[in-house]
Amino acid sequence: MTTRRLLLVFGSLAAAAALVAGLYFGRAGFSADGRDAATLLAITLPDASGTPQTLAQWRGKVLVVNFWATWCSPCREEMPEFVRAQTDLGARGLQFVGIAIDAPDKVRAFADEIGVNYPSLIGGYGAMELSKTLGNRLMALPFTVVIDRQGAIVHTQLGPLRDAQLRSIVGQLL
Amino acid sequence: MDSLPTSTGSAPNRPFADRAAAADRGRAPGRDRPGGRRIGAGAGGPARMVVLAAALATAGWAAVAAAQAKLLEPERAFAFAGRGLDDRTIEARFVVADGYYLYRDKLKFSLDGAVLGAVPALPQGKVKDDEFFGKVETYRGMLLVRLPLAAAAPGRSVTVRAESQGCADIGVCYPPQVQQVTVALPAAGATPGVPVEAAPEKKRWFN
Repeated sequence: MTTRRLLLVFGSLAAAAALVAGLYFGRAGFSADGRDAATLLAITLPDASGTPQTLAQWRGKVLVVNFWATWCSPCREEMPEFVRAQTDLGARGLQFVGIAIDAPDKVRAFADEIGVNYPSLIGGYGAMELSKTLGNRLMALPFTVVIDRQGAIVHTQLGPLRDAQLRSIVGQLL
Repeated sequence: MDSLPTSTGSAPNRPFADRAAAADRGRAPGRDRPGGRRIGAGAGGPARMVVLAAALATAGWAAVAAAQAKLLEPERAFAFAGRGLDDRTIEARFVVADGYYLYRDKLKFSLDGAVLGAVPALPQGKVKDDEFFGKVETYRGMLLVRLPLAAAAPGRSVTVRAESQGCADIGVCYPPQVQQVTVALPAAGATPGVPVEAAPEKKRWFN
């Protein structure tokens, strides 16, 4: 049947295009696959209540580090999905950590309101510079880094990390 | 240096709980983004539809990645310039690139070498319903703001500093940035000066 054939052709073309695009962008440095997260895991930042926290304390978990701010609406929009993923997959070893480029009182207010169930650390210019070394060329937000249990960077994402994509990435690591 | 707040206050807060409740019900309203498209039911077997859906989703992510690769430097996305309009007025100008927007309540102007005579009147922006902050106003395209000086200062050099914060439609926001230009005020009765464009600066805002 013609419609079916068209659909099949279109589907195959789309798949091929996606594969080519994926390969191209993979090569162009979109993914920091296999890179060592040592510099990121070596940092210590205060949490929203001022207590210093090392990122190394979560070594061995599948770590999702999300750079965000309250003044960034796409950041705020995706966070309820992170909260749900933390609830669903936390017991299997998934750990989210937020690094907010923001003032502690704003971070606390926002985290309380949406019930953020993972640590929110407070980063400044240094944290943004660090994200730049991980591929965040323009130091824009949101920027998210997925690190496997061995401490290797598996994925970096500028802009929203959609739930399906997040779960497909971490699903292979848990 | 003189600094005055702009005439807008911060946007009224809407209870975050409303938004969290919406999220709990499933997808919050207005969250359709490129790459997250729904595939409608149509001809073809279920397996084929799954393949097609997966291909489209991957293509969607690739498209988003491609758009992000082309993201402009913030000083190009929000190009700032200024000129002396007359001997007591400076005109500040933002040219916002297509696909980007600035927040009205994040705009602040300050002067070095002259004193602002009044709070600059910002034009009405486009009202956007922010899920957390309620109604916020945004600017796209060209934005002109007149900065009135407290006293005439013909021929004087004045530095205009603009702090702004904006985002790209693709779902990325830039930190607040400060841009500045130094303009010469024209003599009384003379024609307005030529706009001076802000040179890209490496150093940006930080807390």
